[in-house]
Parts: sequence; C-alpha cells; structure tokens
Amino acid sequence: MRPDDERYFARIEDRLDEAWDVAEAAKEQGHDPKPEIEIPIARDMADRVENILGIDGVAERVRELEGEMSREEAALELVTDFVEGTVGDYDSRAGKVEGAVRTAVALLTEGVVAAPIEGIDRVELLENDDGTEFVNVYYAGPIRSAGGTAQALSVLVADYARSLLGIDEYKPRDVEVERYAEEIALYDKETGLQYTPKDKESKFIAQHIPIMLDGEATSDEEVSGFRDLERVGTNSARGGMCLVAAEGIALKAPKIQRYTRDLDEVDWPWLQDLIDGTIGKDGGGASDEDAGEADGAADGDGDSEADDGEGDGSDGDGADDGSVPDSGGAEPDGPLRAKPSQKFLRDLIAGRPVFTHPSESGGFRLRYGRARNHGFATGGVHPATMHLVDDFLAAGTQIKTERPGKAHGVVPVDSIEGPTVRLANGEVRRIDDPEEAKEIRNGVEKVLDLGEYLVNYGEFVENNHPLAPASYVYEWWVQEFSAAGADVQAMRDDPHVDLEHPEVDEALAWAREYDCPLHPEYTYLWHDVSVEAFEALADAVADGDVVEGVLAIERTETTQHALESLLVEHVATPDALRVPTWRPLARSLGVDDGLRKTWEEGDLSPAARSWDDGENAVKAVNEVAPFEVRERAPTRIGNRMGRPEKSESRDLSPAVHTLFPINEAGGPQRDVAEAASVMDDSGHRGRLEVEVSDRVCPECNEHTYRARCPDCEVHTEPHYECGDCGTVCEPDEAGRVECPRCEWEVRAATYQEVDLNDAYRSALANVGERESAFEILKGVQGLTSRNKTPEPIEKGVLRAKNGVTSFKDGTVRYDMTDLPVTSVRPEELDVTADHLREIGYETDIDGEPLRHDDQLVELRVQDIVLSDGAAEHMLKTADFVDDLLEQFYGLDRFYEVNERDDLVGELVFGMAPHTSAATVGRVVGFTSAAVGYAHPYFHAAKRRNCDGDEDCVMLLMDGLLNFSKTFLPDQRGGRMDAPLVMSSRIDPSEIDDEAHNVDIAREYPREFYDATLEMADPESVEDLIQIGEDTLGTDEEYHGFGHTHDTTDIAMGPDLSAYKTLGDMMEKMDAQLELARKLRAVDETDVAERVIEYHFLPDIIGNLRAFSRQETRCLDCGEKYRRMPLSGDCRECGGRVNLTVHQGSVNKYVDTAIEVADRFGCRPYTKQRLKVLEQSLESIFEDDTNKQSGIADFM
Amino acid sequence: MPLESNARIAKELARHGYNAEREAITLLASAPDSAAAVESVVDRAPDDALRITSDHVRAVTNDRSVSDTDPTSSGTDPTSSGAGPNASDPGSTSAAADLTHESPPARSGSGSPSEPASTRSPVETEGSRSGLVDTTDSNTDDTTDSNTDTADSNTDNTTDNTTDSNTDSAPHHDPDLRELEVGNDMTGRSTGTGEYGDFVRTFRDRYERLSKVLRGRVNHRPAEAIAEMPGGSDAAMIGLVNDVRSTKSGHWLVELEDTTGTFPALIMKDKGLADVVDEILMDECLAVEGTLADDSGILFADSLHFPDVPRTHRTGGADRHVQAALISDVHVGSDEFMADAWSSFTDWLHTPEAEPVEYILLAGDMVEGVGVYPDQDEELEIVDIYDQYEAFAEYLKEVPADTEIVMIPGNHDAVRLAEPQPGFNDEIRSIMDVHDAQIVSNPATVTVEGVDVLMYHGVSLDEVIAELPEEKASYDEPHKAMYQLLKKRHVAPQFGGHTRVAPEERDYLVIEDVPDVFHTGHVHKLGWGKYHNVLAVNSGCWQAQTDFQKSVNIDPDAGYAPILDLDTLDMTVRKFS
Repeated sequence: MRPDDERYFARIEDRLDEAWDVAEAAKEQGHDPKPEIEIPIARDMADRVENILGIDGVAERVRELEGEMSREEAALELVTDFVEGTVGDYDSRAGKVEGAVRTAVALLTEGVVAAPIEGIDRVELLENDDGTEFVNVYYAGPIRSAGGTAQALSVLVADYARSLLGIDEYKPRDVEVERYAEEIALYDKETGLQYTPKDKESKFIAQHIPIMLDGEATSDEEVSGFRDLERVGTNSARGGMCLVAAEGIALKAPKIQRYTRDLDEVDWPWLQDLIDGTIGKDGGGASDEDAGEADGAADGDGDSEADDGEGDGSDGDGADDGSVPDSGGAEPDGPLRAKPSQKFLRDLIAGRPVFTHPSESGGFRLRYGRARNHGFATGGVHPATMHLVDDFLAAGTQIKTERPGKAHGVVPVDSIEGPTVRLANGEVRRIDDPEEAKEIRNGVEKVLDLGEYLVNYGEFVENNHPLAPASYVYEWWVQEFSAAGADVQAMRDDPHVDLEHPEVDEALAWAREYDCPLHPEYTYLWHDVSVEAFEALADAVADGDVVEGVLAIERTETTQHALESLLVEHVATPDALRVPTWRPLARSLGVDDGLRKTWEEGDLSPAARSWDDGENAVKAVNEVAPFEVRERAPTRIGNRMGRPEKSESRDLSPAVHTLFPINEAGGPQRDVAEAASVMDDSGHRGRLEVEVSDRVCPECNEHTYRARCPDCEVHTEPHYECGDCGTVCEPDEAGRVECPRCEWEVRAATYQEVDLNDAYRSALANVGERESAFEILKGVQGLTSRNKTPEPIEKGVLRAKNGVTSFKDGTVRYDMTDLPVTSVRPEELDVTADHLREIGYETDIDGEPLRHDDQLVELRVQDIVLSDGAAEHMLKTADFVDDLLEQFYGLDRFYEVNERDDLVGELVFGMAPHTSAATVGRVVGFTSAAVGYAHPYFHAAKRRNCDGDEDCVMLLMDGLLNFSKTFLPDQRGGRMDAPLVMSSRIDPSEIDDEAHNVDIAREYPREFYDATLEMADPESVEDLIQIGEDTLGTDEEYHGFGHTHDTTDIAMGPDLSAYKTLGDMMEKMDAQLELARKLRAVDETDVAERVIEYHFLPDIIGNLRAFSRQETRCLDCGEKYRRMPLSGDCRECGGRVNLTVHQGSVNKYVDTAIEVADRFGCRPYTKQRLKVLEQSLESIFEDDTNKQSGIADFM
Repeated sequence: MPLESNARIAKELARHGYNAEREAITLLASAPDSAAAVESVVDRAPDDALRITSDHVRAVTNDRSVSDTDPTSSGTDPTSSGAGPNASDPGSTSAAADLTHESPPARSGSGSPSEPASTRSPVETEGSRSGLVDTTDSNTDDTTDSNTDTADSNTDNTTDNTTDSNTDSAPHHDPDLRELEVGNDMTGRSTGTGEYGDFVRTFRDRYERLSKVLRGRVNHRPAEAIAEMPGGSDAAMIGLVNDVRSTKSGHWLVELEDTTGTFPALIMKDKGLADVVDEILMDECLAVEGTLADDSGILFADSLHFPDVPRTHRTGGADRHVQAALISDVHVGSDEFMADAWSSFTDWLHTPEAEPVEYILLAGDMVEGVGVYPDQDEELEIVDIYDQYEAFAEYLKEVPADTEIVMIPGNHDAVRLAEPQPGFNDEIRSIMDVHDAQIVSNPATVTVEGVDVLMYHGVSLDEVIAELPEEKASYDEPHKAMYQLLKKRHVAPQFGGHTRVAPEERDYLVIEDVPDVFHTGHVHKLGWGKYHNVLAVNSGCWQAQTDFQKSVNIDPDAGYAPILDLDTLDMTVRKFS
C-alpha cells in the first residue's frame, strides 16, 4: 500500500474513532437495548465471517489458512477443524456439519451477505431406508444471495464433513428423485431460475447427490405429481433447495469438480456427465457413436467441417455465431456477426419502452471503451439520445440488454456519437449536443439511429461473451493511421489539424496518401444497405447536380431510404435530397468529384453482389471506392427499459418515527399522540395493553419495559420467565433462551399495561420539545422482534421534528441506484478544488497539482457521491443525530452542519439488501443525477454491481447510536439488510470479484479491435488490456483506474426518467408505444403484442382468477374473511363487508388492451384471447336477463 | 377420393350439406365405388332434401341408368325425419328436476341391487377395465364383417324394400321414442353482476338447499342459539365448513357457519372420526352432533354427517334398449388431438353394433382453446379459436346424423372459467350447429329416457385429489374423487382454492337431486364405479399425453368411449386408440 493510501485510510479511521467515542459515551447511559455499540468493526474478511456467524475462533483460523491457500480450499480445510472440534463448540455431529457449511458459505461470500445465517436453516441427520444415516441440509430462500458457487460448495462441504464423520450417503427414493425434477420445474415456472436444468438433469443430480437437499416452502404453489412424501415436509416448492440444485450444482459443476479432485474423501464422478452435458440428451451414453455426433452438431461446437463433408444438414458454426450457413460451399459468405437474441424482450411490461429490437439496424451501435463513470455492468449512452427517447433514459435507469450481460445501468457519456434523426422539415441530422436534442425534440419525425452505446471490455470478460465486432471509431482509426505511417503525434500537436473530426479534404487525402481506411467520421453504414440500393444510389449521385457545393439527387424511396440507413446527413425536399457533405459519399460510391461514375454494372464481383445475400454493400463499396472502407457499426445492441433509477428515502409503510407499539389505538396513521389520548372504560387516557419486553432493573428489581430504569437510571436487562412454569431463565452463549424444565424457547416479551400518555409526555419533556415541533409522530402497531423491546419515544420525537423516519432496525436510510465512477471533477460534484484538497486529494489524474474546479481527479475507493435528495436527507439526519446527542444523551453536537458542503468528508454506511455487513464510505460531493455514484470497489464491497441495483446509505453516527439487533424481526430474513458488522476499509481482494473485471486501461490497442472482428474469446486478449485484477495485491491496487472516454458531466441527460414523471400506467404505455413508432429500430407491433402478452393478459387473467376466489373484508373493523359470511355482515362488529377484488380492478386493462391490439395490428391469437376474456368478464359482471333492455322492451 | 369408412361418408355428405340416415350410409359404404355413389346421390338428391335417406341411395345404386326414381316418395321422407331433432327442443328444460324421484315403476323391481356387480368391480387398472372392449385389434375385422353383414341384410332389405320400406327403416331410430330433458341449465340466465351480495346469495342458497338434506338427520340449532345453551347439553348444528385445523394435541377443530354465525366443534382423535375428518373440504355443508363443553364455548362432536346420497337411491332407466356414449375432453386443435382414435370411434358408431347408441353426452373441452396456459400457441395445431370449433364441428359430422348430442363447456372452451359456466355464445353455437346438438351449462342435469345424468366438466376434481388422502381420491381412480362430490352433494365445494366461482342468484353447483349417473371429464383419466347406486364415470379424453402432463407425471387414458346402457345402467368401455 502506498503511503498516500495509508493516509487516506487513517483519515477515515480517525474520523470513525471520533464518532465511536461519542457513540460509546451515549450508549453507556443505558437508554438503548444494549449499553454498547452494536455494530462491531471488522478489520478484514475473517473478522466479518466470525462476527456474522458468531462462532469464536473462526477468524483466527481463517487468517492462518488465508496465506496458504485459496478461500475455497480454506473452507474445505475448516471442515476438518469443525469435525475435530478445534473450531466451534458443537457436540452433535449434525451441529459440526452445520458449522462447517455455514462457515464455508460465509467465507465464499466474504462475510458480507446474510446467506450463511439466513439461507441455511439447519442440518440434521435422518435415516435411509436401509437403516443407515444421512445428512440433510435444510436451506431457506435467502441462500439465493450466496450465489451459485457458494451454494454448490456448501453441498460439497457438507459431503466432506459427512465422510469425515463416517455418516452414510443419502439414498433417495424414486419418488423423491421425481419430486426434485417436478419441483425444480415448478419453481422455475413460478419464480424463475438463472439456469433451468432439464428434468433428466434434475433427476440425475437427485440420484447421485450424497447429501439430501431440503428446505423451506417458499411459495404457495404446490407440486401436483409427487405429493405428501414422507421425507419431504411440504408440497410446495422449496426455493432454497431448488436454487442450490439448479444454480448451484447443475450450473457450477465444473467449479465443484476442481475441488472434488483434490479431496480423497469426496468423490463425485457423476459431475463429469453434468459438465459434458450428456444428461437429458437423447442417446445419453457415449457408447453410441452416432448419437455422440448428433449431439455435437446440435450443440454447435467443434468439427463442423467433418460434418459438412458427410453432407450433414445442420451446420454447427452457423448455429453458434449466427453467420450465414455455408452449406455446400456454393452459397456466398456473409460478415461475422453476433447472433441476435430475443431474451431481453421477455416479460416486457407496459410503460417501459423497447429502444432497439434484437440487433436491429437503427439501434444502439456497440462502441468499445470505458468512460470514467462507467464499467461494472453499465452502458454508456449519449445524453442527446436520453432526451430523444422522450426522456425515458436517465443516469441510473436500468436497461435489459441483448449483450454482453443481461442488464445495465445507464450512464451519460457525451464523448461518443449521438443519435441521428429525421426532422419534420425533411432534414436528417446527427445530434451530438443534449441542448440541441431538447430544442429539436418536438420536430423529430423518426429517430433513424440511436447513436453509440459504450461497453467496456471488462463486461465481455465478466460475462464470458465472445467479443462482438467493433464499430469503426476514431480511437481505432488513429492507431491504424499511425501504423500506416502517419506522424500522429505531430498532427495532434498541430492546432490546425483536428484528428478526431477532420475536414473532408484532409480525411480523403489521408485515406489516399497513407493507404489507411477512410476516417470513421466519413464512413457510412454500408452494411445496412443492399447492393441493389447501393447501385441505385451510385446512379442517382452520378445523375445529380452540385449547386453551391451541395449535391442534389433525385428523391426516390430507394435513395432516401439508402441515405437514411447510411446515416448521411441531408435535407429532403419534395423532389430532391440535398447532401451538403457529399464527396466522401460519392467517392465511396465510386463516383468522382465530377460526378462521373467510375465503374460499370459488370465491374462488381459476384462475391460482392452476393455478400450476405446482397443485403450488405460493404464489399461492393470496397471494390469501387478508391480507399478502404471499414464496417462502421457491425454490432447493434438490442435493449429495453428495465427498472427506473431510484433516489428516495427508505420509509416503512406506513412510515415510522419511533419503534414503539401502540396497537390500533393510533388509527391507520399510527399516530402516537392520538393513541396517547384514547380514553379507556375507566376514564384513563392512553392506557394500552401492549406486548413489550419485560426487563428488570438490577438495582431496584423493578420490572419495566424501558431499557433504563426510570428511578435508578441504570440499564435494565431482559427478564426471561417461562410462561408455563414460571422458571426464570438465562440466555446461553448463543443468546438462545430455553426453559430447562419445559424445554421450549422463552422470550422476554409480555403483555403489559403501558401508560402511553405518560410515556409520550415525559419523552417530550425529556428532550425539551413541544408537540408543535412536528406534524405527527408515528409509532408501530406491534413489535416484530423476539423480545419486543421498544425504542425510547424520545428518539421518535426528534426524528419527527427533523423530518426523518426509521427503518425496522432503528436506522434512517436513503436508497439510491448504484453507479460507478472512477474520476471526478470538483465542479460537477458541486464542490470546489479546496474541498477536495481538504479531504486529502492532492493531484489530478495526470499528476498535476489540484488547483482548479474542472480538473479531473481519481476517486478514492471509499468515497461516494450523494444525489441531491440523499444530501438533503443526510442533512436532516445529521440534525436529528445532533439533536439526539444534545437533547437526549446530553452530549455535544457532533456534525453541526449548516449547508451541504459541510457533509463533504463525513462518513456514512453503505449497505445493500440481502447483506449483513455495512461498508464505511466518505462523502466527496453531490450530483443532480438520481443515483449514488461511487467507486466500483465500494459497490463491490457491498456485493452490488451497477446493473440497476440499488442500496442505501446511512449516516455513520445514526447507525452507531440507533441500530440494535434487538429490534430486528424474529423471522426468516430478519437479519438481512441489517448492519451486523462494518468494514472500515476495503481490501480489494476481499470484495465481489466481478469488480476485478473492470478494465483500467487508458486505451484499447489495435489488436483488440482486430480481435473483435474475429469474435474472439475475451480472454484471448486479456494481456492487451489491463483490468483491476491485474493490480490486485500490489501497491497499485487502490489507484490507477484509467478510462478511455471522458464525459463532460456525470449528471447529464434528464434528471429523472420519464417513467417516473409520467402519470398513470396508461400514460406511460401511450408514451411507450408512441416512442416505439418513432424509433426505426423498434417494431411497434411486436411491442404492443408483448405488452399485451406479458402485462395486460396476465393482469386480467390474474385479477379474474383472484376475483372468483377472493377474500372479503369488513369495511368497518378490517376483519378479513376467507369466504363471504353467510350472515352477510361482519361477524365481529356487524359492519359492512365488501369484496377485496372488484370489477374495476379486473376490468381496468381490458378495453385498453383490445384497443392497442387493434391499433397495432396484433396477431389474431392475441385478439381472440382478449375477446374470450372480455366475454368472460361480461358473463360474470353482466346480468344476462338485463342485457337486451332497450327501447324495444318498453314498447 | 377413397371413402372406405362410414364416418368419412357421413362427413362427405355433411360437406355437401346433408345429414344422412344410418342405413343410407351403410348402403353407400357397401356400394362398389362408394365415392361415385356418394357423388351421384348428392347430385340426384332432391333440392328440398336435408337428409339423405336409404331411398335416395337405392334410387341411385339400384338403377343408375334409370332416371330419378320416385321424387314424390323420397321427397316426403326428409320432411318427416327432419322433424326428429326438433322434437327435443332445448326449450323443454323445465320440469326435469321432478323426474328424478318418480322413477317409472316398470323397472323398479328388476334392476338396481343385482346388476351393478358386473361393472362395479372397484379396482385398480386391471379390475376396472373388466368391461372394456378393445376395438383396435378387432377393428378391421369388425368393420368388414359388419359391412358385409349389413350389405347382406341390405340386399335382403332391397328385395322386399319396395313394398314397405317406410315401416321397415323407421323403427331403427324412432325419434318419438326419445326423451331428453335438461335441468339446472343456467345458460342465458347468468344474473350475477359480481357484487358482494351475489356471493352471499350463492352461499346462502347452498346452505339452505343442502341443510335441508341434513335436517331430517339431526336436530339442528342455529349457531347463535347453541352459544346460549347451557354447558353439557346435547346439541347439533348444520353449517358450511368455515375452518378445519388440527390442534397441538392431535385433535381437530372444525368451525361451522350458518346464517347466524359460527360455532366450533372439536373432533377428538380417539372418536373414530379421524377418517371422516380427512374428507372434509372447506365450504361444504356438514352436520355435527355432540355435547357442549361446560362453558358452552365448543361442541365435542360425537358424530358427523355429510348430506350424502341415500343408500336407498333408486335409479331410473329407459324402457327400451338404447345406449349413450359418455365422452369428454376432445381437445380439437391441440397438436395431441387423436384424430385417428376419434375416427375409429365415429366409424364404430356407424356399425350395427353401435345401433343402440342414440345419444352422445360430451362433458366439456371440445377444443383445446386459446390462452389456457402460457405459450399455448406453440402447441396448437389450429391457432384460431373459431377454426378450432369449425374443426370440431367437422369431426362431429362423422357421428351418425340422427344421434342426439348434449354438450357442456369445459375449462378449455371459450366461455368463462368461473363456474357455473354457461353454454357457448351464439357465435360459437352457430359454428357447432351440426346435429342440432344441445349446448347447456356446466354443470347441468340431462334426463335421457328416464335416466338422470349429472354432467360436470370436473375442474374441482383436481382440488379434491390434492386435498384428500391418496386412497380416497387419486388421478388413477378419478371416480373415487367423484364419490366425494356426491357425498358432499356439491360439484365444487371448496371456495378460494383452485375452483373459481361466479356468483349467481342460486348455487348451480349444488347436487340437489341425486342423479343416476354422474359424468365428468377434465382429468383425462378413465374410471368408473358405483357409489350408493349412482354410477360415477370419468370418461378419459381424446388427447395424447402433453408435455405438461409428462412433466407432472400424468398418463392420460386417451381414446376410450364408455357406452352406457340406458335401460340397465350397465356400462361398457370401448377402446379406440
């Protein structure tokens, strides 16, 4: 680590220590459930693992092993320790296996996610039919957050422990094997799996796996075939089990095999069959040669040439990469292209538009590179494009993409090409300026091209996706230009030469003189026009006239369409197409400056004519043009909108200021003041019978629900009294309390009469506030924690006063979509260079001293940029914390913030859902984009990437003071999303390794671009481009994150996606379909069809089903009835009972859906489904005998 | 075009717009060149003829050189026989309900107790197939035989035909002998508008009609009144099941509801009622008898009663030998529809052996439908729903023209899924107007020559099978699940689960009157048996195993047609696949 980095971390830790001391002093007063801070600091991963699991000695052993071996190996090594009892204090064999499995999962998830504690419920020993014992691992839903590898390895670890303990293998019954297959298929249907094993695969796994996988039912949907099995406790799908079997074992078989090979005790030979993919294919065995060959062809891999020789119809290569099949060799070739994929269009919903149909021309053009606010599952879009897609895209909006991964967060990058549009006045123009985009937006008739889409190399590595052919762009051209002999450096220094945007003459001259491909600025998209159109255009240009330097050619459908496809800027008048910059176009068409066509029809070779079935004129161009012309944009990336970006405070619903229970007394608003004034039968106000914890004062032995004895002012302890026999019990080491006599769990919660009125009034008095200080103070109906310890109402009073609300664990949180950024300018963060210097930034990215607000500086790994909303929220939280310290704990104010600049340098916690570890971050600035920009390593430390994920920030002191494990709900998943431990510094080796694939080079070499044309494997060029992984473990690991593309401001484009600013669903959908009509790359009929198919139909069908089997509810007291009471009225209160699903909610989309289906010409199948549904609705909601009532009935 | 089979001839004639007498078809089939014969019959049929009679055929086959035989005589025929279908107009549905209990005295002595033995064999696959006739193997022989047979008899006929052809051919199927009435049909009478009150009305109607059945057996007190009774007294209550749960100590708590409120009954595990508790479904009507607890808070149950079918139930029967084919789940339009099996079936209907089969009762899922499950279009041979019904109508034309057909919709059909399902709308009816088939609601009771057949598609069977223990209801023995429905006197008791309910002014799903035959489909499994003298038949399907069925381990019984003797209520199952 460099001294500079040392200083950085020391600075953070100093501030953390300061806060710690203050918080400690506050906690010692005993007002809180525990008299100490409840978020321990973890120095490293080993600490986190130990803290999360609560198993002593794990950290030490992990550190010992870490130097010697990989984490996976360490996990296996620890199994021995657990079995021998040197780590963990387990008596039973099942306990030993459980400890080992949990530890393995914790290790593999870097001790961050909640899977090891929440995802594994228990391990038990059961009996095989032959009387031997086997191990059953009982998984729960949260195992999902562990990821496939850790899931799979948990099974391996269990098996290893099993064999060391001499327990037998699981011998499944046939019905159980069948059950696995049915259940996994059911789960996939209901919830969806990343990888769906075929039935045969599922059965194969079930038959061979030496451990029984079991788990909790996670959905209501039940299997219909193999039910009521003796050893399977539920008929529902067990989500955890399905995940482990499908996404773990089936998907990660190769990874597990690596470890089984090294272990003598564990032998899983069957994995090989899974890896080979021979399960579930016809033939199955390798014995049959023909079958084997058929498999090969179907898989599309390998020796297709041999197959061709035998006249095999199916061409392996063709199926694999999407190139035109060359069966027989007589057929002409086509260009190498990535195969279009429809997948991202699945589950399209109303209101979220499609931007590009799969690989459709006119859509986003793939450009390689990484902008400074880019990488780690994001895609760079030009801000002008964001505006021209009717503001549906904003920084942080998630899009589902065709490739390389599944989803991206959108980031604004203006150093790439913008969109090309046709305006109502006939002008076709490329828009590279967001302001211009906003000006002309209303006049746009058609968006001919969406501009470029920036994807970094690391994305392809991470997704292991073959490199798709690159667009021909400046950074590639300039390297070719240099290689062709040009003195690029001299030209760069020459103020008269603009290498990136040269004049026409220069560009043509360079192409001629250096024999270098034509500059991309003047390279048109010849691959998008047919040879026929190319010839027609060449003739039209040859027949055209040049008037005042502008070429006018005849306007025909062909020529206009060709120019629009080529993205040649021009103006269409009623009878002519006027092209101002026409010479590169003419030259490319083989027409000279005198408009003489230099070639005859017969000059084109048959190969050029038939290239890609004549649909691609690029070969023809190269045969007639006087220079080489590269394919401008061979790869288009299909995508559609996913989730909108997010930046809003996390409120429970209804919002909560204080975790104090008030039953129903506060009304639907849960108003504490109202509850405090409710009068009971005896005339007392605010006396409530609530379930709260029973605590006892160590001094006076009085019982109270408060954490501090009101009389003695000392901290009280929970009082565990067995409800049956009255024995007072003590918690054991693990914190569990069991009655020794009745052998059940004892809790400290009891129903007590609480004088809320008094509690509320005294809380106000304690902090010296009046009721008028806030509008409303909201409590909760009841507490969900095990011992139901309430929070001091004082905290709620101060929250209400400062306008913040509490999350279930007592913290104040703000959610933001994650985006990465590696270099920032002070001015775009609304801070000054001085601010940054104050917090330790000294130089810009080029090593120059930091003096100006527009200098680019490299962001530190734990520094984060708050959205405007987050900053405002943090200010309120800081005020709340300061008030709390001063008015409640009687300590000095800590933050003393006046304006948001004061937050720069303050510490926060970053914390992602499904995890249990917070990461300390430092505020560096602010952005108007509704996202949380931070270093990719910071996001990775929270185990997030940036493909639309969101997580929260908390103010450091708020977390230290107000978080308590005691508040956490006592249910599955209750410990998720709670800061059980904090990491004070990021070790790049101990974060989600996806972040290591972010490339950090400042440019991509020419060889890389060449490799993309071959659709090479990304790993074949890994030596050419530096990625984060390359600096891991070196002094350079915390800095040197270069980028290839700059962007003017990381907050460009709309502040909010139109999805969030538009009104109801109908408005959104209208906008979506309107946009579909406008974009050339989108087929609006398909969009309409999909919206109906994936959104409207499921909604109507679902609501119709819900209607005919619905619950009912009393309008007066809220009592719910599974079925309508025969009495008609509420059995509890006699009130009016009504339906929960009404005609309105069933009908709401029918008319729209039918109208959309008509307007966009959907398939008859879709229309008929709608018609059948409409008639069903009529049949249910209309009275047949009333229907025909018309005037005739009354005559 | 070769027209080797009767069904094809019938279809070909139908294509030209003619119905045909069974005999006429037999004649045509036995002609040396049947295709040509059909053509000339069609050519020469009088303009006003709607129905090709044997006379028409003979006119052609006997003497082709001689020009039109006797236009007047053949002209009268069609009109008279044309009146046949009209006689049993759907309009006459009214008083059917009353018929059930007044079984015609004629056959009361002979029938019920003894005869079930043959069909009843309650039974796994082997046993229950005892009455099964496999026509696949013998099919070819059969048909050729019968053809020659009929050909022979025809020649016989032809000889003395000229004298009294009318009297001779008429007795085969005398429409006047037929009796067909439909009860409980709610088509066109769906008055519910989806309001809360409609639901309440439906459940109240259920309670009122079913509690009536139980009232004679227990001394019912309303829930309200029981709560006021002194502890320790004996009490009984009739109510809809509101809740069933097991207690920690292994007993069961059953909460019953009547119009005054709810009352809990505790069923002790050692009372010998455990078996009964297993059978309880939510929202069915039950009676519980027992003793009140000391605090009158709960009823300790001694006995539990279902509405049930009385063991003394007497069945009706036709007073002549006539049969009905009970089929369902044709699924035309599906990739898996078994056209060949269907044609063997319709071929067989044209044979003399099938002569007594004058009725076909079809219990739903005529077509595969659209949008029944996700991505269904990928498994459809006919994607257009109207084309599916057109195709179905074509297949229906293969059935002898004078067969009476009654159909109810199923969950794949183009009507609402919520039950009761009304019969089709006019558009689809007009497509399926062949044979003047009657299309009524699901469920409906069809009284065929004195035999009450309760037709219900059977969606609730899935739920009964899911909820009840394997030995009481399973896909392999669907009739056992049907017994449960009979016992509960309701075709789909449980609300809020799989079965969807459309609220109406009355609960059309109540089995108020005990039927003689209970006919369902839906689960694509064949099974039949008698429950308290009621014949329960689940009739298999005409669709081969689908991918979905494969995935959930269901092996359908496809291509079977149960044939019911309406005079004896004996049943034979014929296999056509």
